[in-house]
Amino acid sequence: MILAAAMSLKEFTSDREIALLKKRDPDAISDLIGRYQQRLYRFLVRMVQDPATAEDLFQQTWIRLLEKIGSYDARRNFDAWLFAIARNLSIDHLRRRRGVSLDDEDDSGLAMADRLSASEPDALEQLLDFERGAMLAAAIADLPPIHREVLTLRFEEDMKLEQIAEVAAIPLSTVKSRLHRALEALRQRIEGVL
Amino acid sequence: MNEHDSVWEMLALAAAGALEPKEQSRVDRHARECDLCRKGLEKWAAYSQSLRKLPQPVAPEGMAQRTQALILQHHAEAADRRKHEWFLAALAIFGWGSGWASWMLVRAIVGGSLYLFGVNLLNGLTWSVMSMAVAGITAATGALMLGGRREMRRFL
Repeated sequence: MILAAAMSLKEFTSDREIALLKKRDPDAISDLIGRYQQRLYRFLVRMVQDPATAEDLFQQTWIRLLEKIGSYDARRNFDAWLFAIARNLSIDHLRRRRGVSLDDEDDSGLAMADRLSASEPDALEQLLDFERGAMLAAAIADLPPIHREVLTLRFEEDMKLEQIAEVAAIPLSTVKSRLHRALEALRQRIEGVL
Repeated sequence: MNEHDSVWEMLALAAAGALEPKEQSRVDRHARECDLCRKGLEKWAAYSQSLRKLPQPVAPEGMAQRTQALILQHHAEAADRRKHEWFLAALAIFGWGSGWASWMLVRAIVGGSLYLFGVNLLNGLTWSVMSMAVAGITAATGALMLGGRREMRRFL
């Protein structure tokens, strides 16, 4: 009962905030930027791998959000909508920078069982000895953007697969296969380093 | 593909919490009986846990304030643009209207005709071309002046 009341209060607050955003209320904008600052910046850094560009895209995301807020459908998940805007801006930036399509997924074609045999040394235990976090972050940075995206949204943003599908504008089945490939690619890189 | 191979393929997604409940219980059931899959699952679970604890990039100090300032600037520029568009439209309408008003006035003063180089300036078509040209020149001059002011403000 209390939980339900809290949830409805949260939703009411969100609706009220959206209404205030539509009116370009400076306090509502300020609150929202403050609340999403860390998460959105982290996502952008993971995507573009450059703090200065991430800040620039962070600012562009909010400007774009305010331009599009009039057409925001309140039934949509706000987080997914916001991250979709940030995602599209970062993909556009990467496309411009590299001049190549970032939608191509790499596929080694090897079966999982062939690559992860029981006889391999336990890479994770070794990772624990070798500054695990920093190495893992470096390995992620080496992945294609579409893999970095799905990993950060799932594990750092803790988004459900349906939300990730909404952010990346892809079917749920593609999210699953992309997540699977991203994890495999990450594991290969980590074990390749060790 | 046998049950073991099929479950083995699902271990990464199982550890990532990305399976349907039915698939998840199938993996759990098999992993209870299969040492290899249990160890594989533990390994993927450790990866997943590590991915949730990556070193965090810290947002630069003042980023939120800079963003708000940029939004305000963007908002003010958009409002300026809208205002200028209305102003230029009003200027063009005024130029066109005053052209016709002066046509009627000149006609009333000089009678039906006013010749210049053999052309009757009070002819309806001639006058409308002239008044539209004047309105266009007025709006274009206004646009140049507003644009120049904006550039000057940006420069300053």
